[in-house]
Amino acid sequence: MYHRFQILIIALCSLLLIACRKDEVVYPTIGTHVTDEVREGGLYVLCEGNMGSNKARLDYMNLHAGDYYANWYGEQNPTQLKELGDVGNDIQQYGSRLYAVINCSHKVEVMDMQARHIGQIDIPNCRYMAFKGDKLYVSAYVGSIADPDLLGSVYEIDTASLQITREVKVGHQPDELCVRGDKLYVCNSGGYLTNRYDSTVSVIDISTFEEAEKIHVGLNPTRIRADERGHLWVCCQGNYNDIQPEVVVIDGPHIQTPCANISIQGSTAYILDNTNKRLRAFSTIDYTEQPQPIDISSYENPYGLLATNEALYITDAKNYVSSGVLHCYDYTGVKHWSTYTGDIPGHLCRVTAEYDIHGGGDTPEPPAKTPYITRVYEYLPALGQFVNMLPKYEEGDDAESMCRKCEQAIANNAKGMVTLGGWGGYITFGFDHSVANLEGRDIQILGNAFYMTGSTEYGSSEPGIVLVSRDDNRNGQPDDTWYELKGSLYDDPSTDHAFSRTYTRKGDTLQNPFHTQPYYPQWLTADAYTLTGARIAPQTKVISGQNVQRILEYGYVDNKPNTDVEGTSFDISWAVDADGNPVSLPTIDFVRVYNASDEILGMTGELSTEVTGAIDLQMNK
Amino acid sequence: MIRRNILIFIAALSALSVFAQSAGLEPEQASYADSLYNDFHIEEVEVTARALTKDIIIPQTLKGEELARLNALTVADAIRYFSGVQLKDYGGVGGIKTINVRSMGSQHTAVYYNGVQLGNAQNGQVDLGRFSLDNLEEIQLYKGQKSDIFQSAREFGAAGNVYLTTRKPYFKTGERTHVRAQMRFGSFALANPNVGVDVKLTDALSLTLDAEYVYSNGKYPFRYKRVLPDGTTAYDTTAVRQNGDINAVRAEIGLHHYYRTTGFWRVHAYNYWSERGVPGAIVNNVWRNGERLWDRNTFVQGTWQDEWFGRWSTRVLLKYANDYTHYKNYDVKLLPSNNEYLQQEVYLSLANKVQLFNWWDVSVAYDYQYNALNRENLLLDDSKEFFDRHSHWLSAATAFNIKEYLRLQASVLMTAIQNRKSKIENPKITPGIFVSFRPYPKIDLSLNAFYKQSYRYPTFNDLYYTDLGNANLRPELARQHSVELAYRKASKTYDLAFTASYYYNRVTDKIIAYPKGQQFRWTMLNLGTVKINGVDAKADMSFYLPLRFVLRTRLNYTYNTAIDVTNPSDTYYGHQIPYIPWHSGSAVAGLEWTSKRGDHYGLNYSFIYVGERYCQQENTVYNYVQPWYTHDLTIYGEWSIQRYWLKANIEINNLLGQDYEVIQNYPMPKQNVRCTIAFRY
Repeated sequence: MYHRFQILIIALCSLLLIACRKDEVVYPTIGTHVTDEVREGGLYVLCEGNMGSNKARLDYMNLHAGDYYANWYGEQNPTQLKELGDVGNDIQQYGSRLYAVINCSHKVEVMDMQARHIGQIDIPNCRYMAFKGDKLYVSAYVGSIADPDLLGSVYEIDTASLQITREVKVGHQPDELCVRGDKLYVCNSGGYLTNRYDSTVSVIDISTFEEAEKIHVGLNPTRIRADERGHLWVCCQGNYNDIQPEVVVIDGPHIQTPCANISIQGSTAYILDNTNKRLRAFSTIDYTEQPQPIDISSYENPYGLLATNEALYITDAKNYVSSGVLHCYDYTGVKHWSTYTGDIPGHLCRVTAEYDIHGGGDTPEPPAKTPYITRVYEYLPALGQFVNMLPKYEEGDDAESMCRKCEQAIANNAKGMVTLGGWGGYITFGFDHSVANLEGRDIQILGNAFYMTGSTEYGSSEPGIVLVSRDDNRNGQPDDTWYELKGSLYDDPSTDHAFSRTYTRKGDTLQNPFHTQPYYPQWLTADAYTLTGARIAPQTKVISGQNVQRILEYGYVDNKPNTDVEGTSFDISWAVDADGNPVSLPTIDFVRVYNASDEILGMTGELSTEVTGAIDLQMNK
Repeated sequence: MIRRNILIFIAALSALSVFAQSAGLEPEQASYADSLYNDFHIEEVEVTARALTKDIIIPQTLKGEELARLNALTVADAIRYFSGVQLKDYGGVGGIKTINVRSMGSQHTAVYYNGVQLGNAQNGQVDLGRFSLDNLEEIQLYKGQKSDIFQSAREFGAAGNVYLTTRKPYFKTGERTHVRAQMRFGSFALANPNVGVDVKLTDALSLTLDAEYVYSNGKYPFRYKRVLPDGTTAYDTTAVRQNGDINAVRAEIGLHHYYRTTGFWRVHAYNYWSERGVPGAIVNNVWRNGERLWDRNTFVQGTWQDEWFGRWSTRVLLKYANDYTHYKNYDVKLLPSNNEYLQQEVYLSLANKVQLFNWWDVSVAYDYQYNALNRENLLLDDSKEFFDRHSHWLSAATAFNIKEYLRLQASVLMTAIQNRKSKIENPKITPGIFVSFRPYPKIDLSLNAFYKQSYRYPTFNDLYYTDLGNANLRPELARQHSVELAYRKASKTYDLAFTASYYYNRVTDKIIAYPKGQQFRWTMLNLGTVKINGVDAKADMSFYLPLRFVLRTRLNYTYNTAIDVTNPSDTYYGHQIPYIPWHSGSAVAGLEWTSKRGDHYGLNYSFIYVGERYCQQENTVYNYVQPWYTHDLTIYGEWSIQRYWLKANIEINNLLGQDYEVIQNYPMPKQNVRCTIAFRY
């Protein structure tokens, strides 16, 4: 009898001891191949993790290799005590460093571009970041000395020494902040004070580091972003009850929409409405709603958002306590890939090729060709009311960096907008391939023309002439012979084919009280420049008290609405040489558009061709 | 001398002295009850018991000296030795400790103190770490329900039941007073004095007093270490747990009156005060948290029971509870908060049982309860909130025996809850059926089975918590199916009891927090289905060896799967739910030697094992939590000289100093020691 019990005891004990405790091994980094698509650089994904779980996770999507690395930070920093921390709240690249706010670990983690730990800045209950010069600004729910009124603070940190240099009190529970000029704008959410939410943005003068004023926005503001014209978009969450959420553009309209997240790319603000599960798009020029670029209605909990010039990255946080999903779309709404992430993928940071982590690996596949333009070679607008705004000039910009900004706006179907200013202003762009001259129209060039109500004869038309060129000397630069694509007014006697005008810095006198920035291209070092080309006669007429233009028959940019593909497209067969003789071009490599109209219409300013993109139609066939 | 002791005690309990004065000064009477008192270590229910009330569901029981021998400070520590339970323990003397019975969630477990349920209408959880073992005579765990049809209606309502029974006085002929004094010291500056007095006021009326103080600074070292895959150290750090201190006082007074062989009444008043730190999660860059918690739990409860015509039993329960909690966050890194909560509860139960025939009993019971919660945020002026709820339970049950072979019980419970500002909901009906089959009259072998439904009702937090509560929640339903084989054999040299059970539970409409369609917002939803399959096995064996040695062993083992089957498109579909280990168990072996004089010396060893599990819904490597197991040792001696009794006891817990966590980021203490000296007169 006893013997049998002993066997039982031994059996039970050994069963219990099968699974013994082992040394705790660091959390692994797990790579998954996600896509065969090749892009440059990568995307950092900061997953928040739930409070108290210490599961903030920094993942890396290597866009070059198409591989997703869960817990990338872990592999780079296995000796970090208790890993990355508790609740990741913001990640940004500045210079050649990555900065991540880890909210409940009360720190800003500073890393190199491979996410290797450099240092940390201890800031209690830190939330979001903004940068200017050599300084980092961090909003925090609490100050270094607890405030009896529960006010939060913004800290200034020297990015070289990683030391806190200054601190300023702002409102309740400050969330996102952004820099515009020499001011910091901070959302005071009041998010912890149920029924007593704040509704202001604190404006901090960076030089004195004092609060200059408080701007009233909507209730419970959490996010603030500047568009390329410097307008500030503020996401106000309302009170989750009777006061609805809205996006407030400071000195602009209030847009009634839930707004969990926002990302501005080119002249479009993408707003994540996670109540109705849709991604809304609004023009930053006239605030009109654009078609929704993608359908996210099947998401469980749309959460993170980043619009870049090449793609829309959007995350689904699911139920917050399990893996989220990262999706990548292009702007035509096509989903390219998806991958699982950590818990609550909230914050995305696109890093460029120069920091490519696995750059030394296999020779990459050549990138897939795109029908959209990929490069802007030249950009020289004539004086105009949106010059220096579309795209935005910032101190230090030169002709080259302005071209890059134009690319961000209109290349790769980004659907932003570039202004050409007054008569003669031009832009030169190209594709990642030569465009073939085949049957029918070859290139569609997009603008912002529209018909007046009930008419296809009149509307807003700001005609631009198209020139094309072949890279005959094969140097990759648009320094070859240009040929004009002959439009419907080419042979009209009112067209002046040999016009020229010199614009001077001195001649930049303020013309329109709505746009008070300099109109002279500020990146030019010369004080004058001369443009030459054709000028078409004024087409404006006043109908029902409005200035409208006669819509030209064919062959001009920004003349017909983009929905009219034929009317906005061009046939390379229309090319003529300087003497007006037809030229046969089998392919072209460069396209130049210049403003051929020369009219100034009082308060609404000059007629100015706007370009919002271009497509190789033959490639789509 | 004795009278003076009582007076000191009464002074200490001035708030409760009304009871002592009104009941304590009765003239003494000679009574037939002397012999009855000698048997008071038997549960009252059994005092009036007939054969019918024998348990169909065999409870797991720890009582008396067995309880005292275990390495356990609180009820939560003791319950680790039961099978089929999962303990959540946030560590340290002051950390919250709750249990799950058969993976159904801690809110499906009801805890009863002397037969009356302990409530927490706010969050539905009872912190078992607050209940000291020193005043307890018995802990019982019933899966399903106590299979006695003579009980309050509410008792039919929970999926798992823990009964805590306080020590009852019993006096030998001629004895009038018992005094107990105990002092315990231990690691983390533990100081835990406890005194108790039992007085026989009259032959039928007795008074018990018990008071306890607990202090611990909660500063224990813990270690976090991780290695690289090649085995070299990635990091290794040891720190001291901060803000885990506790100061607590418990005082209880009980008055018992047994006026007939069948009738008694009893009044019990309980008061608990505490102040403690909430040590919080240890995460990167955070080694200290600043929340503080003050509690005062007070309740007064009364029981009256009698029997009429030899066939009809009646029991009345009454209770008033008043619980105050004050939570304050001093952590300068976080937003300050300062909240007060006051919960009140009034409870009434009326139960009747009639024996129709010797083989057939029926019972009916009705319970009413009123709960109210006042919440106030002291940092904001306009944030007072008030919630209340009326609850009604009506039960009917029957039990009958068919010869000695088959015993059957069936119960049906109707529950109706009315929350503030809402209509009374449609009453929910939940049945339970219990069967015990004993094929051989001479062999103590039985096959038991039950099926039971029970609801876990949403708590005030679930319904009304700021921005999170959802007033439209339905109750969560648990369906239990269980079969059990039990065998017992005893002789002069051994006493063996084996039980093995298989169960299948299904929890539907599970109440979970789910993100709302807005940033950072959660709400409570009835979303979740869990399928639980498990096996419990336990073996209690005692061997009476030569030379007055006794070897007692107790083995428990549980295997269970608790699978989320809510939605096949979830990444965690088919995964084990959080913090439910597949394997868990315990082994206890105690060797005791009794001298010729009757002194006892013993060595008790216990081993607890909790297997691997996951801390979140997804069973991924990032959510994996390692097994933990501790070896604990107790050495004790007990000496009696005439009426004086002395015991000394040294416990060494976590003998091998394992660094482990029960809940992720809440480190548990390494090796620690407790010494107890107890005196009884």
